[in-house]
Amino acid sequence: MLENDPNAAHYPIDPDRLDLVEEFRRAPKGPHSDALQKVLHRMRWAGEPRRYVLIVIEPGRRWMLGRLPERRGGQIERLADHVFTDPADAEWEVFRRRWQAITGRVLPAERTV
Amino acid sequence: MIDTTAVLGYAWPMAVAPGETVSFHLSSETLAEAQLRVVRVRCADADPAGPGIRTTGPSSAIDGPIDLSHQPIHPGSCAVVADSAQLAGLGDFTFGCYLFPTLIGGRRQTIAARWNELRECGWKLELDEEAHLLLTIADGGRRWNVRAPKPLLEREWVLAAATVDLTGGTVAVHQASLARDGGRDRTGTATAAGPAAIAWPTATPLVLAAQGTGLDKPLRATSHHLNGKIDRPRLYAAALDAGRIGALVDALNPPNTDPALIAAWDFSRDIGGDTIRDLSGHRHDGILHQLPMRAATGANWDGRSNSWTEVPWQYGAIHFHDDDIADCGWKADRKLTVPADWPSGFYALELTAATGEGVSVESYVPFFVRAPRDRATAPLAVVASTATFLAYANSCLRLDQSHFEAMNEGLVLISGDDCYLSAHRELGLSTYDTHSDGSGVCYSSGARPILNMRPRGNTFNYVNDTHLLDWLEEQGIPYDIVTDEDIDREGARALKPYRVVITGSHPEYFSRPMLDAFETYQNAGGRHMYLGGNGFYWRIAFHPTAPGRIEVRRGITGTRTWEGEAGENTLSFTGEPSGLWRSNGRPPQRLVGVGFDAQVFDRSAAYRRLGDSFDPRVAFAFEGIGPDEAIGDFGLRLGGAAGLEIDRADATLGSPPNLMLLATADRIGAGGLPTTEEFRTTHRGLTGDQNARVRADIVFFETSQGGAVFATGSIAWCCALSHDGYDNNVSRLTGNVLRRFLDPRPFD
Repeated sequence: MLENDPNAAHYPIDPDRLDLVEEFRRAPKGPHSDALQKVLHRMRWAGEPRRYVLIVIEPGRRWMLGRLPERRGGQIERLADHVFTDPADAEWEVFRRRWQAITGRVLPAERTV
Repeated sequence: MIDTTAVLGYAWPMAVAPGETVSFHLSSETLAEAQLRVVRVRCADADPAGPGIRTTGPSSAIDGPIDLSHQPIHPGSCAVVADSAQLAGLGDFTFGCYLFPTLIGGRRQTIAARWNELRECGWKLELDEEAHLLLTIADGGRRWNVRAPKPLLEREWVLAAATVDLTGGTVAVHQASLARDGGRDRTGTATAAGPAAIAWPTATPLVLAAQGTGLDKPLRATSHHLNGKIDRPRLYAAALDAGRIGALVDALNPPNTDPALIAAWDFSRDIGGDTIRDLSGHRHDGILHQLPMRAATGANWDGRSNSWTEVPWQYGAIHFHDDDIADCGWKADRKLTVPADWPSGFYALELTAATGEGVSVESYVPFFVRAPRDRATAPLAVVASTATFLAYANSCLRLDQSHFEAMNEGLVLISGDDCYLSAHRELGLSTYDTHSDGSGVCYSSGARPILNMRPRGNTFNYVNDTHLLDWLEEQGIPYDIVTDEDIDREGARALKPYRVVITGSHPEYFSRPMLDAFETYQNAGGRHMYLGGNGFYWRIAFHPTAPGRIEVRRGITGTRTWEGEAGENTLSFTGEPSGLWRSNGRPPQRLVGVGFDAQVFDRSAAYRRLGDSFDPRVAFAFEGIGPDEAIGDFGLRLGGAAGLEIDRADATLGSPPNLMLLATADRIGAGGLPTTEEFRTTHRGLTGDQNARVRADIVFFETSQGGAVFATGSIAWCCALSHDGYDNNVSRLTGNVLRRFLDPRPFD
């Protein structure tokens, strides 16, 4: 069978490449360098157990971070204390969570410095 | 957040003409009442950057408050054989079949049963929680079980059988693996003590791939649905040994002269329908419920042919799923006879209320009003791409598939509808999804709520197409709606009354009668505007008799979210091959000059004019557009008119010799990813930043008898029409071409 394998994305992320973090922080929607594209592909393809998603609260205006259920048929979890008025901020929030999960390094919560 | 799911419903049929009656089937788990209003849809997109939700109320006889009730949905397919004296009066007997389980473990699944769960009596052959065959017989008080010693393997054929030997006082299960290599052999038999006599239940149907609950519809009549294929099930009035069971099941035509043969179902008969045929002579024919997949390869399929029409005896299997759904079977809550003076269009029931928490409810139930059957009311027809809407109906890709975030190049956006779908899989899947056993969904039906075919739905297909309707309303250009299914049923007759026919943002799914109709229309002087991308791509069929049902088999190429199983890529509805039209000798380029080349989900692009656009032949199209003007460097879908899915011209795929390449968007970035059929081998340099074949082309060509075709080759096109108060060059080019196409003067 033709299946998607979330474990197939195995590009090694270098914890010291903070230049890529800065590149993403400046422009979460890109365009991105080749190296950052690879980092993002690793993160996006693999996701995490109960993948992060962005729930549309008000189209074009407000979004809330959410998590998919572990199995089909479950409820989507709403992270009500993570509401965004710019989806780029949500991209940053998930990027920093994934960066920490993969590299063990903590990134600042704020996108703009 | 507006609640769009507190009340849901579907209209039946999906499309009606004035004077005809449409019924509305509604359900709410939480609301006792709502306000109902029939609306004509102008724009279905809630995006505040665009025109917003725009509807008008024609004022209907059914407008007003409506009482609501909860109508559950019971998914899961099975075959039901009506009870008979022979089935009810069995003494010693054997049931056997070939079985191909596709999701084992975790829960019980019934292979065959004449069982009443309410009274706990009858017999049933199951796969238990650990994938062991399990036979149970019971008479309401006493119960006998026998369980096979070895668990079955997923996706391996096995002979599975049960015997009840009242004479000998035993019950037994028997299994024999067809492949016995590499640790696959699960052959074995188990025997246990059984009764000398038993009282079977009365008035109980025999069910294959599920068991009876003892309840009647609208309650759940069956449960414990099977995920897997069953081939050649037989019922025999004697307790057979393993050798005779094997011979009985294996025989393609067991002799109906044998009085002990009670039933021998041949699933290769009447594959296009919903009846299963019994060869025994006792007419234990059955009815299939909720559309399990037919034309499935049987245990004897040897690969000599990939089509059930050539070797039907190798297609005696049906693939059942616990999440199949074809018809919710809800009662009609309202009926509406469409008044004669209502203009054709996209319509919907608008249902409004407030939840107990004070949240506003705004939910829509879509339907389509076509022109009166005897006449057109405008020179322009817009095609409602109902085949495509059905193909995508209730897509759960963003919930289930890990590719979606990578493809989307950003976090997956989840609407309120998606939140509801996540927890309510009973609404059924789209043909993009895979069943709970991982197999592809090949059928879709409109007899269920479809959350992404209505105002406020997710932005693709239906919602995107309403940007075209919105623009036509803004321009004051009248139109009729013709649905895909009208074209499939009526052929070119459905298009003939119109000087111009527009296919919208993504007319991706086409049946052979639909393609024939468009070719005939174009070549009889018709003018066809294709204002979308990735059109005319998949070969599908509408069900030959049942309305509102389509089938696609994904085959082994194309941008596909699942791949068809070997040998299972022929349509069960018609016996035709499925897959891409490009693989069927009729690439989209032949019909509309351009065909799908790439997906672009990171950012949309603009077109630039090419040399042909300055030819006097097309001067009409570019009035008011400068020679160096970027066309469509704006739009609601990722900032450009060329994006999402894009098409290019190619003479080798059928773009006609007189085609004029007017403009192209060939500066697509690294997010432009070519579809698999666009390259021979994998190699670097395939993406849009390096590959000029990743592009959207705008083309024009004349057909015969004064007809013409204009195509824009991008899904994002229609969503750029309203930019800057509709005063923009996408709107201008579209309007210039449409006005010339509406002009009866023939093209050369």
